[in-house]
Amino acid sequence: MIVKEWCMYCGECAGVCPRNLIEVKETVLVFDDEQCKECEICVKCCPIDALEKN
Amino acid sequence: MIMDNKIGLIVMIETDVLVIGAGPAGSTAAKHAALGGAKVILVEKKSEIGAPKRCAEGVSKEGLKLLGIEPDPRWAVKEIDGIRLVAPNGTDVWLNDEIKLPEAGYILERKVFDKFMAMDAGRAGADIKIKTLAKGMRKEGSGYVVTCETMGELFEIKAKIIIAADGPESHVGRWAGIKTGTKAKNMESGVQFEMCNVEMEDPDVLEFYFGSLAPGGYAWIFPKGNDIANVGLAVIATETDKTAYQYLLDFVDNCPATKNAKAVELNIGGDPVGGMIKQMSDDNVLVVGDAAGQVNPLTGGGIISGMTCGMFAGKVAAEAITEKDYSAKRLSAYDKKCQEELGSKLNKYLKVKDYLSSLSDSELDSIADAFQNVEFEEISTTELIKKLIKVSPKALLKLGKLF
Repeated sequence: MIVKEWCMYCGECAGVCPRNLIEVKETVLVFDDEQCKECEICVKCCPIDALEKN
Repeated sequence: MIMDNKIGLIVMIETDVLVIGAGPAGSTAAKHAALGGAKVILVEKKSEIGAPKRCAEGVSKEGLKLLGIEPDPRWAVKEIDGIRLVAPNGTDVWLNDEIKLPEAGYILERKVFDKFMAMDAGRAGADIKIKTLAKGMRKEGSGYVVTCETMGELFEIKAKIIIAADGPESHVGRWAGIKTGTKAKNMESGVQFEMCNVEMEDPDVLEFYFGSLAPGGYAWIFPKGNDIANVGLAVIATETDKTAYQYLLDFVDNCPATKNAKAVELNIGGDPVGGMIKQMSDDNVLVVGDAAGQVNPLTGGGIISGMTCGMFAGKVAAEAITEKDYSAKRLSAYDKKCQEELGSKLNKYLKVKDYLSSLSDSELDSIADAFQNVEFEEISTTELIKKLIKVSPKALLKLGKLF
């Protein structure tokens, strides 16, 4: 997953990830790309379009 | 067991109760667990508790009173004495002046409020660790070991009871095997500006705007004093192809109150509005606040409900520590208390929310028209819904049996 530079680390993506794969630190977002099934729910829910599939 | 970090081993700290997340729910849980005699550690991943805010900042006076919290002007920045409901065509319903408002309240400054709630936990005896991220946990003996990271250094906290207060992200509950996390259709995507130069007709009321300007949610203007207001909205992302931010820009451009307003802050965040999760505890674990869906599905408000349940969690945890019983059965007293206090109300509001979300702009306009002729003696969420059922045959059919 690509995290765009305007991500504000709100954590909404982590909350909706059905596989609990997104770690939200204070200024870093960490995805477990290996386990990701690319459902793109995180992309859809981001309020500011800060995520993009690789 | 303490080992030297410098030679690559990890320090372990032991405690009775570990609260993960220092938002209002977590801080309240930590405070009450500490007051109940438990040894408590409260961890928060951010460097500053309460910032950035992810909230419209409204609370009821009644709720604060029930929690035993005296309003402080440093964080209760604006008193509210009414509401204004605005339909898609601009028809508005004013509920203020001589109408009783049991849910009247304040607009908070969350950056101060959250810190004050954490300070109360600290003064009660909780140890607070900020800039400390919980990265994972494992069951060990009669508790859990949580791996934490603070500025690159790993360490572990062993606790008999974990209180998961990590907000909508809700990792901790899921690590413990509890079904937390929120389906996309139940997560409001929120976005808000704090603005100056907001020209409200009445700067002492909360304004709510409904309709297709915020699919699955609503827009709000919550005054913070003088010409300052939180101007925001929330949408259900699965109901639209535009982002919440795009909807907010449109709203600000078109709303008369904000045509000259200037944004000084942008906030975003998710708000779980699918109701309380069914299971909120298990062996050695309690889940509180947004992580447990303890949010009013209709308004999106979760401060008071989260803190109330946080109080229950802290008390139950302290009692369990005293009794040396951290089992799911013992901790289920927490679930029972939350359900008794909030369950029925939140379930009803969930049904109302689903109903309102199904209405078209013209149906909402008709309801606003019908409300022009309604006498209100008291405004509360329940009273508004009861009036809605009276004026709308469709609402009567869908919601009549609830209230």
